[in-house]
Amino acid sequence: MAMKEIIQKNIQTMKWSAWLGWQMESNWTNPFKFLVYTIARPIASTLILVVMYLIITGGITYTDQFHYIYVSNAFFMYVFWVLFGITWVIHDDREHFQTMKYIYISPSNYFSYMIGRTLSKIIITTFSIFITLAFGVLFLGIPLSLTSVNWPLFLGVMIIGLLSLISFGLALAGVSFLTAKHSGGVNESIAGIFYLFCGVVFPVHILPTWAIAFSKILPITYWLELVRRALGLGVGVDTALASISTETSLIILCVSTIIFTIIAFSIFFLGDRLARSKGLIDMTTAY
Amino acid sequence: MKQSGGDILAIPAIEVKNLNRTFKTKAVKRKSKAEIVKALQDVNITIHQGELFGLLGPNGAGKTTLIKILCTLLLPSSGQAKVLGYDVDKEAHEIRHKINMVSGGETSGYGLLTVRENLWLFSQLYGMPTKIAKKRIDYLLKVMGLEHKKDSKVRTLSTGLRQKANIIRGFMTNPSLIFLDEPTLGLDVNASRLIRDFIKNWVKEKPGRTVLLTTHYMMEADELCDRVAIINDGKVLACDTPANLKKLINQDTTIKLEIRQVQDLSAFEGITGVRSFTHSHNITAGITKLKFILDDDATIADIVTAVPKSGSKIVSVEKTEPTLEDVFVTLVGRSLVNNDI
Amino acid sequence: MIFDDYEKPSKLMMNLRAVFGRAYPRVIGVNREPSWLFFETFLPLLTVAAFVYFYKALDAPAQYIGYVIIGGAMTAYWMNVLWHMAAQMFWEKEIGNLELYMIAPISRMAILGGMALGGMFTCTVRAVSTILVGVLLFGVTLSLPNPLMFIGIFIFTMIALYGMGMMFASLYMLWGRQAVHMSSLMTEPIYLISGFWFPIKAFQNPEILGASKGLWLGTIASLIPITLGLDGMRQCLFPGTNDGFLPLWIELLALMALSVIFLILAKLSLDYMEKLGKQEGRLTMRWQ
Repeated sequence: MAMKEIIQKNIQTMKWSAWLGWQMESNWTNPFKFLVYTIARPIASTLILVVMYLIITGGITYTDQFHYIYVSNAFFMYVFWVLFGITWVIHDDREHFQTMKYIYISPSNYFSYMIGRTLSKIIITTFSIFITLAFGVLFLGIPLSLTSVNWPLFLGVMIIGLLSLISFGLALAGVSFLTAKHSGGVNESIAGIFYLFCGVVFPVHILPTWAIAFSKILPITYWLELVRRALGLGVGVDTALASISTETSLIILCVSTIIFTIIAFSIFFLGDRLARSKGLIDMTTAY
Repeated sequence: MKQSGGDILAIPAIEVKNLNRTFKTKAVKRKSKAEIVKALQDVNITIHQGELFGLLGPNGAGKTTLIKILCTLLLPSSGQAKVLGYDVDKEAHEIRHKINMVSGGETSGYGLLTVRENLWLFSQLYGMPTKIAKKRIDYLLKVMGLEHKKDSKVRTLSTGLRQKANIIRGFMTNPSLIFLDEPTLGLDVNASRLIRDFIKNWVKEKPGRTVLLTTHYMMEADELCDRVAIINDGKVLACDTPANLKKLINQDTTIKLEIRQVQDLSAFEGITGVRSFTHSHNITAGITKLKFILDDDATIADIVTAVPKSGSKIVSVEKTEPTLEDVFVTLVGRSLVNNDI
Repeated sequence: MIFDDYEKPSKLMMNLRAVFGRAYPRVIGVNREPSWLFFETFLPLLTVAAFVYFYKALDAPAQYIGYVIIGGAMTAYWMNVLWHMAAQMFWEKEIGNLELYMIAPISRMAILGGMALGGMFTCTVRAVSTILVGVLLFGVTLSLPNPLMFIGIFIFTMIALYGMGMMFASLYMLWGRQAVHMSSLMTEPIYLISGFWFPIKAFQNPEILGASKGLWLGTIASLIPITLGLDGMRQCLFPGTNDGFLPLWIELLALMALSVIFLILAKLSLDYMEKLGKQEGRLTMRWQ
C-alpha cells in the first residue's frame, strides 16, 4: 500500500474514532446539561484551590503564587483527562460495550483509533480550560491579556506538550490492555504523580531534594513552566525552575517528549502483543 | 391462603388475559418523532403446572417481552398476567420465591469468581443455606459435565460452559416455574442435546414443575414441548400441542424439491394451489431446496413444470409430513430458518 | 433427595444471606487482582500529598495538614458510594446481573447493603493507609479525648452516607450512561462544598462568602452526610482548633437524623424507581 494511502486510512480512522468519542462523551444528555457538566467540574476543582488559598492568605489573590497555581491547575486538566480518557476507552470498549475485539480485528489501525478517541477528549478539555481561565480573569483578577501572550511559544509548547501527553496516554493504554477493570487506577496513579511532582498546585522547590530531581526529568514539569512563561503568569515563583532558560526548557521538553514517545510506543505495542498472547483482548472481569 | 389443599396443581402456572405492552421509543434526532411500538397485543395464554410450554416466534415477535412481564421485570401496559396464581404487578414478591430465569447468549455473574462461587452467590439471593446450596451446585455441576471446571474463573469458560453454568444457576433454586429464553442459543450439538435432555428430565422428575421456553429452533420445540404458542408481531397466532398444530395443515400436501443450477426462482411464484413456499440454498453443493405447502396433490405437476422455466434441473422430489416449521411458515408467512447455508 | 424442600429462612435471614453473598465477590474479587492494594493505598496518597504541600507552600497552620489527611481518608468512602454502589447498579444492568437480582425474592437494599459492606473493606484499607502516611510521613498529631463521640460520628456518617448511596443507586438503576456522568459530576463539586480539603466553616470567612452566605452554604452542604462527618471527625481528632461548623453533639444528632431519613428515602426511592423501570421497560435496557 502506498504511503499516501496508509496515511489517508489512518486519518480516516482517527476521524471516525474522534466522532465516536464525541458521541460517547456528549450524547447521553441534551446540549445544555452537557455544557453545565463540562463547566461544573473544572470550576469546582479550581474553586477548591481558590478557597484553600484564600483561607490561608486571608483573601489575597494578586500574588504571582496564586497566578502560578491557577494557570498550572487549569492546564493540568489536559493531563488528567487525556490520561484518564485514553485508558477508559480500553476498559469501556472491552468490558462494557464489548466492541474492542471487533475494532481490533478490523483493518483500521487500533493505534490510530486510540489517538482519534483522545482527540475528542482534548477538544472538550480545551473548552473546559478556556472557561476556567475566563472565570479567573472575570472573577478572580487573573491578569491574563491576549496581547501579552507569547503566542508562538504558547502554540509550540501546546503542540509538543499534547504530543507528550498522548504518548503517555498510549503507554497507559498498553498497560491497560493487561489490567482488569480497575485499570483506571493506573492512569490515576500516573496523573497523581504528575500532580504531585510537576509543579501544579505548589512550586516544585517546596518538595524534598530527591523529589525536585525527579520532577526535573518529567516533561510535564517543563511543559507547565513554559505555558506559564508563554502566558506571562506566575513566572519566577518556582525557584527550582527559574534558573533554567526558556530555550533550555524547550530543548528539554522536546528531547524528553521524544524519549517518552519512543518508550510509550514500545509499551503500547508490547502491551498489545502480550494481551494477544494472554488472550486478554476480549476479557471481562466485572465484580 | 391462596394456595392450599390438594388442588395446588390446579392453579395455572401462567394465566395471561388480554395482555398488552407498548414501548415508547425516544426520537434520536430533533425532527423525527417518538415511536410507539406494540410489543404485545391482546395476548391470551394459559399454561398449566407440569407443562413444558414453548413460545415460537421470529426476532422482535414479543417473546422476551412476555417473559420479562412474567418474571416481574416489566409491567404490562394493560391486561392481566398471573404466575402460579399471583398477579405480576401486585404480588411480584410471592412470585419471585417460586421462579427463576435463564437467558441464552448471555453471561451472568462475576468474571473474577469461580463457577462454584458464582453459583453460591446466586443461591444466597434465594436464602438457601450454604450446605444445601453447595450440595445442589455440586450435583448439577456433575449432571452438566462441568465438575472439572468448578474452580475455574467464569471469565475463562467457553460460551457453552458459561451457558451450562447459567442453566445450573436457574435450576439450583428448584423453581416451580422456570423461564428459559433461548437456552441453547449459539451452543454446539452436544451441549444443546445435554441441556434439552436435562430440561426434559427435570420436568418429569416432580409433578408440577413447569417450563416456559422460547426458542428459534423448531426441532427443539417439537422435541421438548407439550404445547407451543406461535407468536408474531406481539400476537399469538396459534397455541396447541405440536401434533395438533401440525394437524392444522395436515390436509395439505407438503413437497420437498431439490434442484440444481437454479437461475430464476420467480418461476415458482404465483402457482395456483401453492399455499406457501420457502427455499434455502446450499451454495457449496450448488443445490437449492424448495418446500411447498399445497392445497392438493394436483398442484405437484404444475411445480414440476416450473422447474425448467427456472433454468434448473430436478435432483429429488419428496412428499413429506408437515413439521412445526411448516405450521410456522403457514401462519407467519415466512421461515425462521436462514435461507442460505 | 437433593432438591427436597428445606426449611425456609426468615425474611431477615434471607436478606442477610443476600448481603453476605453480594459482599463476597467484592472482597474476593479484589483479592484475586492483588494490584488493587497498590492502587488503593498508593494512588490516593499522591493527591493527599499534593494538598499537604499546597498548604506547606503557603505556611498554613499545622492542623490544615491534618484536615487534608482526614479528607483524603474519607474520600475513599465517598468514592465508594458514588462509583461502587450507585454507579455499580448501572454496571450490573449492563452485565446482565440486575435482572437476576430483580427476580430474586429479596430486598434490593440487601443487594446494595452487600455492595456497601464489600466496598467498605477496600475503603477502610485505603483510609487507614492515608492516615498512617499522614502520621508517619507528614508528622500529623491526632488526639482523641472523646473516642465514643468519634465512633458515633463515624458510624452514623457511614449509615447516612450509604443510605444516600442506596437512594442514588435507585436513580442509576434506570439511567444509562448519564449514571457515570452524574457520578463524575458529584466528585469535585461535592469535594468543594463538603470541605474535603478544608473546614466548611471557612466559607463564613469575610474574604470567601461571609458569615451569612457561608452559614447557608454549610447548612445546605450538611444534607450530604459526609460534610458533617468530616467536620465532626476533624473536631474530635484536632480539639481546640475552633474550625468546627456546629457543636459536636448537634452534628451527631443531625447525622442520626440523616441516617434515618436516607434509609427511609432509599427504600421509598428504590420501590418507586423499580416500579417506574418496570412500567417504562428501562430496568433491563442495556447498551445506553
